[in-house]
Amino acid sequence: MLAAQLSVILARAVLITAMILVSWGSQAESQAPVQVEDSRGLQTLVQVPSRVAVLNWDVAEQVLELGITPIAMPDIAGYRQWVMKPQVPESVLDIGTRVEPNFQRLATLKPDVIIIASPQLDLLPKLELIAPVLFFQTYSEHHNNAKAALDNFKQIAKALGREELASARLAKMYANIEQMKARLEAAYPDKLPKVTTFRFASMTSIYQYGDNSTSQYALSLLGIEPAIAQGRTQWGARQKRLKDLRHVDEGIALYFRPFAQESQLESSVMWHAMPFVRAKKMNSVESAWNYGGAISIEYMAQALTDSLLEIAPVKPELTQVSVSTQQGELNQ
Amino acid sequence: MHKYQIFRYSTTLLFLLLMTAMSAQVDTQISLSSQWHLLVDFSQRHLLANSFDEIMFVESQLPRIVMAIMVGATLGLVGSLMQQLTQNPLVSPLTLGTASGAWLALVVLNVWFPGFVGEYASLAAMLGAILTLGLVILITGIRNMSGLPVVLAGMAVNILLGAIATAIILLNDQYAKNLFIWGAGDLAQNGWQQVQWLAPKLSVAVLIFIFAPRILSLLRMGQTGAAARGLNIVPAFLGLFTLGLWLVASSITAVGVISFIGLLAPNIARQLGARTPKDELFFSMLLGALVLVATDALAMLLSTYTFDLVPSGTAAALIGAPALIWFTRRKMGAQDQLSLTLPKSRYQMTPKALPLMALCLLAFSVISLFISKATVEQEIVWLFSFPDAFGWQIRWPRLLTSIASGAGLAVAGVLLQRLIYNPLASPDILGISAGATLALVGGTIFLGLNIFDGTPAIAFIGSMSVLGLLLILGKRHQYAPSMLVLTGIALTALIEAMVQFALARGDETSYTILSWLAGSTYRVTPVSALVLTSAVVLLIGFALLTSRWLTLISAGREFAKARGLNVPRAFISLLSCVALLCAIVTATMGPVAFVGLLAPHMAVILGAKKAELQIPTAALLGASLMVFSDWLGQNLVYPSQIAAGTLVAIVGGLYFIVLLIQGRRMA
Repeated sequence: MLAAQLSVILARAVLITAMILVSWGSQAESQAPVQVEDSRGLQTLVQVPSRVAVLNWDVAEQVLELGITPIAMPDIAGYRQWVMKPQVPESVLDIGTRVEPNFQRLATLKPDVIIIASPQLDLLPKLELIAPVLFFQTYSEHHNNAKAALDNFKQIAKALGREELASARLAKMYANIEQMKARLEAAYPDKLPKVTTFRFASMTSIYQYGDNSTSQYALSLLGIEPAIAQGRTQWGARQKRLKDLRHVDEGIALYFRPFAQESQLESSVMWHAMPFVRAKKMNSVESAWNYGGAISIEYMAQALTDSLLEIAPVKPELTQVSVSTQQGELNQ
Repeated sequence: MHKYQIFRYSTTLLFLLLMTAMSAQVDTQISLSSQWHLLVDFSQRHLLANSFDEIMFVESQLPRIVMAIMVGATLGLVGSLMQQLTQNPLVSPLTLGTASGAWLALVVLNVWFPGFVGEYASLAAMLGAILTLGLVILITGIRNMSGLPVVLAGMAVNILLGAIATAIILLNDQYAKNLFIWGAGDLAQNGWQQVQWLAPKLSVAVLIFIFAPRILSLLRMGQTGAAARGLNIVPAFLGLFTLGLWLVASSITAVGVISFIGLLAPNIARQLGARTPKDELFFSMLLGALVLVATDALAMLLSTYTFDLVPSGTAAALIGAPALIWFTRRKMGAQDQLSLTLPKSRYQMTPKALPLMALCLLAFSVISLFISKATVEQEIVWLFSFPDAFGWQIRWPRLLTSIASGAGLAVAGVLLQRLIYNPLASPDILGISAGATLALVGGTIFLGLNIFDGTPAIAFIGSMSVLGLLLILGKRHQYAPSMLVLTGIALTALIEAMVQFALARGDETSYTILSWLAGSTYRVTPVSALVLTSAVVLLIGFALLTSRWLTLISAGREFAKARGLNVPRAFISLLSCVALLCAIVTATMGPVAFVGLLAPHMAVILGAKKAELQIPTAALLGASLMVFSDWLGQNLVYPSQIAAGTLVAIVGGLYFIVLLIQGRRMA
């Protein structure tokens, strides 16, 4: 019994040593120190890290988009339910909640670098005892969130030695969005409509997305202006009464799914009185994460484009290949 | 009807009509005459209302006002019914904890059975409310509902269920998100569906009008008198209570938690001269409607002038909390004849047992330092190991904080229970801890502070202002226990409303507030752990040195005075000691419930009856309890954690309830 266990452990040890040797060989060229600019200032890492731990969902997304599998991230079940894209490989270890990541589990994983966002900022002194920490703040009312997400993506890529991949990925994102824009312009030949996006909080209140929200930034890349101007907030969202949506006027209103009481909208006189419902300038958007990283702008643009095309005055040609499938091929 | 009575009813009705008309004007864009037309030809509204504004008036503004009247009247009526049944002016759906029972039931339903939410929400809320009431009655006994104990038991159950709900939300935050607006109590309406849904459910109120007045009149003669007149008390009592709960649970399901109306309306009614049971029922109902319509108009007005959407429940709590203290202040009579009766015990403890208990605390500490779940080669295993330098740095501040806060709160509990002659008193039920919490939550919401920065200064300001208020109010009322309890209820409800308000805003800030409210040692720094420990040591030292004061006061104020004690001075210094203990613990690790209630009791049960022995025994027990809870919370759902404060509230709350039920059975 004991001998069997010992031999298993021995076998594992041999395997791990072999793996380390192989990876050491392949990364021999990345031994030089790396300098990156995180949200605190210039940080120096002794070498390109390979064991990356991420403590927030938005930085997890950024790292996964760079083709790197983090060794640990928080609340993976929640990420799979709400953020969805990009997918998390099975090998990633869960380290608890985003607000209280498990220090000791993190420490036993011996990461080379820990990447955090604002909810973990006050944990910095303790985290630095485990490994060098990079802090990337994406969501703040004092800056442009989308620009921050893009800058952070580039800086994380620099830190992880994937700069080329990052610029290629960003170029592909802009190209894809250009394609979406072209399709929208074809479907709305007169002029692109103004659009406001929101999420239902209840049958009577909503979270309206404005400046500093991913959805509004994605719309602006598609050449679409907001139907209701709304100033900058930390998360880009503001709680409003449903009836405030009347100010959408001639524009289009899109709401994000899921909404548990969606079926009740049909029988609501108030909802049908909304100018955009009367004019049939309204649609739902497949669920997309509103608080993500750089590439979530593309996922958001895709979801919004799909929704806008569904209610477009000119129906898109059926022969045209949708952008999302092209992208799928590219990824493979 | 008496002349004055006619005047009273007609004036109130006039006010209600006036408020209703005014409320209809908030944020309405159409002229009075077109409003009138839409009202007169209400059945033709679908044809008449064409413009957006007209439709909004008919489909949003009007149902909202009707809803406010219906819910307000229901809460007023049920509040009056419950207060008359128990002959206790402090009883209401809020103080009996039934609202948090309904809240917990709905959280559970939303997180684990989302498919059933549409159909069974009201049933779940109802079940939650009834089970909670059952629990409270089980604790105090059905014939013992007229005093403070039932309110204290209600608050204890309130904290217990609230802690469970918070733990569930923290571990499943995104699922519970769609509950937050509801939790804040929002009267906004989208069409008439909800009114149509609620109206038939409220129609059973007719039964109360028919049966309650006679039963209540009989009950006024006292329970034996009523029984002599042929009233079968228990079924009548339970029947009426169930009816009331059904009404409240239906209202809660429709519009969320709106506190205070049910507590306030009957008190105002009596103040304004409602004497007979029937009069009080009807007048409370009218007042309830008036108060809620007025509050809701204020909530709408606030929403139009600020960026944030202000839920009706928040406005109700903002007005209700101070109003509660104002309207019940006359009932805070001196209760000097009270003296302390703690649970009986078969044991007699000597100071020699203290080292043994210290050893027990040491054992718990060793366990929490050396035994934990860990990850070995990707697998989760139980591990006995000596922490490395890093592990040690993570663990010792948490351990020290657990010990110090457990001991500190336990001593605060001993002092408070003896000071206000109530074995059910706990520092977290009174306003003192709540003051610290309120200040910190308020600072986060309105000043944009990070709640984890632990700003002890703000917590102190909160605690000390409440203490100041208590002392000013208290001087006038000879520091009556009911005053402390009332302030606690008012502040706690205010905090709940503010937290719900923050949650309803739906951004990630609310999540950090909620996790701070869970009371966790996770973020404690070495420095604040040391500061906390030294403060607690000093304050416990003070309590031990002055234990003679406590012994004298426990025996009764007159007795203490006769033995030459300056009672007011001793009272104020000991109460300040309690406030300081609560403030420093709350500022360091967030609110922690039940330790202050539980540890003193356990000490007495183990035989530590004298003050000078009860203080150290309770301190050691409280510390052990916290250390154990923190250790359990770190390992139970590894790699996630449950906050020690939450676990202590659940474990302690359950144990306390069992204890009380057993105590009753023995008596």
